[in-house]
Amino acid sequence: MPEELAVKIEELSITYKVNLEAKRTLKNAVMRASLGQQMRVRTVEAVKNLTIDIPHGSVIGIIGSNGAGKSTLLRCIAGILSPTEGRVIVNGKISTLLALGVGFNPALSGRDNIILGGLASGLTKDQIESKTDEISEFAALPEGFIDMPVRTYSSGMYGRLSFSVAVSMTPDILLLDEALSAGDAAFKEKSFERMRELCEEARTILIVSHALATVTDLCDTALWMHKGSMVAKGKPEQIVDDYLKFLNVGSLPSNLEDM
Amino acid sequence: MPTDQEFAPKIQVFEPHRAALPPLIPYIKEFWRRRVFAIELARFNDKAEYLDSRLGKVWLVLNPLLLGLVYYLVVTIIRGGGHTNGLTTLDHLLIGLFTFYFAQNCIIAGAQSITTGGRLILNQAFPRALLPFSSALQAFQQFLPTIPVYIFILVVGKYFYPTTQVPGWTWNFLWIPFILVCVGLTGFGLALVFATLNVYFRDTNKLLSYITRIWMYLSPVLWLPETLKGKSRLLLYANPLGPALTATSNVWIKGEGLHGLVIFGCIFWAVISILIGGYFFISRERDFAIRIS
Repeated sequence: MPEELAVKIEELSITYKVNLEAKRTLKNAVMRASLGQQMRVRTVEAVKNLTIDIPHGSVIGIIGSNGAGKSTLLRCIAGILSPTEGRVIVNGKISTLLALGVGFNPALSGRDNIILGGLASGLTKDQIESKTDEISEFAALPEGFIDMPVRTYSSGMYGRLSFSVAVSMTPDILLLDEALSAGDAAFKEKSFERMRELCEEARTILIVSHALATVTDLCDTALWMHKGSMVAKGKPEQIVDDYLKFLNVGSLPSNLEDM
Repeated sequence: MPTDQEFAPKIQVFEPHRAALPPLIPYIKEFWRRRVFAIELARFNDKAEYLDSRLGKVWLVLNPLLLGLVYYLVVTIIRGGGHTNGLTTLDHLLIGLFTFYFAQNCIIAGAQSITTGGRLILNQAFPRALLPFSSALQAFQQFLPTIPVYIFILVVGKYFYPTTQVPGWTWNFLWIPFILVCVGLTGFGLALVFATLNVYFRDTNKLLSYITRIWMYLSPVLWLPETLKGKSRLLLYANPLGPALTATSNVWIKGEGLHGLVIFGCIFWAVISILIGGYFFISRERDFAIRIS
């Protein structure tokens, strides 16, 4: 793999089976077996034959409608899901924010949750403890909240803390799924700033977002996916424009906010 | 000495696993590298579990203790029995319940660990077996305070009833760590099986509470292992916790050492549980993120 690449994806396909049963219980399974019935499953082709090289220092925005395979792609790059075909080569340490509030036990304090989140992502206890105050400060938690149970946090505080943990891991590659919807406008601006800093340090960012304005503001490349396949890749303005035409909606500010 | 870099290489390649299992050596190395996560998760979950309870961790001891007293009333007083035998029965009941609860907590908490760790699983790539392992560590942490309580009851009982057959200090107590390791490994192995089942069938945990209760009645907790004689003793060894609970009774109640068959039974069930549970869990863990999302 060439040194300048952060992620190399070769002919990647991800297929999985979804159980269509209303109740996934042992009782139903036994009943079905006794009646000689098969379990109802549907095969989902989440990503189809995708090949892409992502150089270090790029900020890639992945857009597409629901079910396009965007989140599945990020989970595969993170090693959470395995490829069905093809392969993914990742050159660098990954930090992820693919589900908000990840690793957080609501009964525990913010500080305890930061330690758990850091350890889960592979940091040592010393490394994560040295970052706790920095994370709390970045998340702009009101005074004293860092030592209060997370269940007492507002949804904004919860989201800001999750984002702060993800960006504080000094990752080579940062994978974000709709994370920028957390927090208010001021926090969004601070998040953008932090991500620009990461880019200047030649770190790579992949963002899945329905907020098209985020993609045009922050990303240097956009990737449009539809039903598991890559439709187009290129300059964010062009790709977003094509995507809006495909959706048959204009580029009104409201459309750019959430598509 | 392996380095962190060796365990977590900078370049990672994700490919389809042709065989049912992922490459096991990197898996085990990564499991070992992240052991601190499992230890801390156990510590934090333990802390969170009793945060809102006024009596806190006292429940950990109080629950099996009260249960032991109830069973003692049922088994001894209704049936009738002398003071000395009564103390032996009470001690047997308590240490049997404490040990059985250790295994039961490993299994029940471990079985829930994947479905309750959903967001962690959706966000991070790590050996998923760390979650049931953490539950087993938590169960062990919760078991530990019951030992001094048991010893206190033993000492007080011997003071009032010095003729009791329950032993004082004996070197055979050195078998106890071996028994606990076997119980922990058996519990962890079975937790891997039930954690996997619980991902596919969400009522597994409900069923587990019935299974463990019936299992306790079939185990030498309410009755002495010597009750089974001849061929029926095979039932003792067919029970994954049978040999370990027999060993518990032998050491704690009779002060005896362990004979070959009991040692073999303990090791056999620990190894078999880990092998079967490990294979079942690891071969399916790539599916977990899809099933719980």
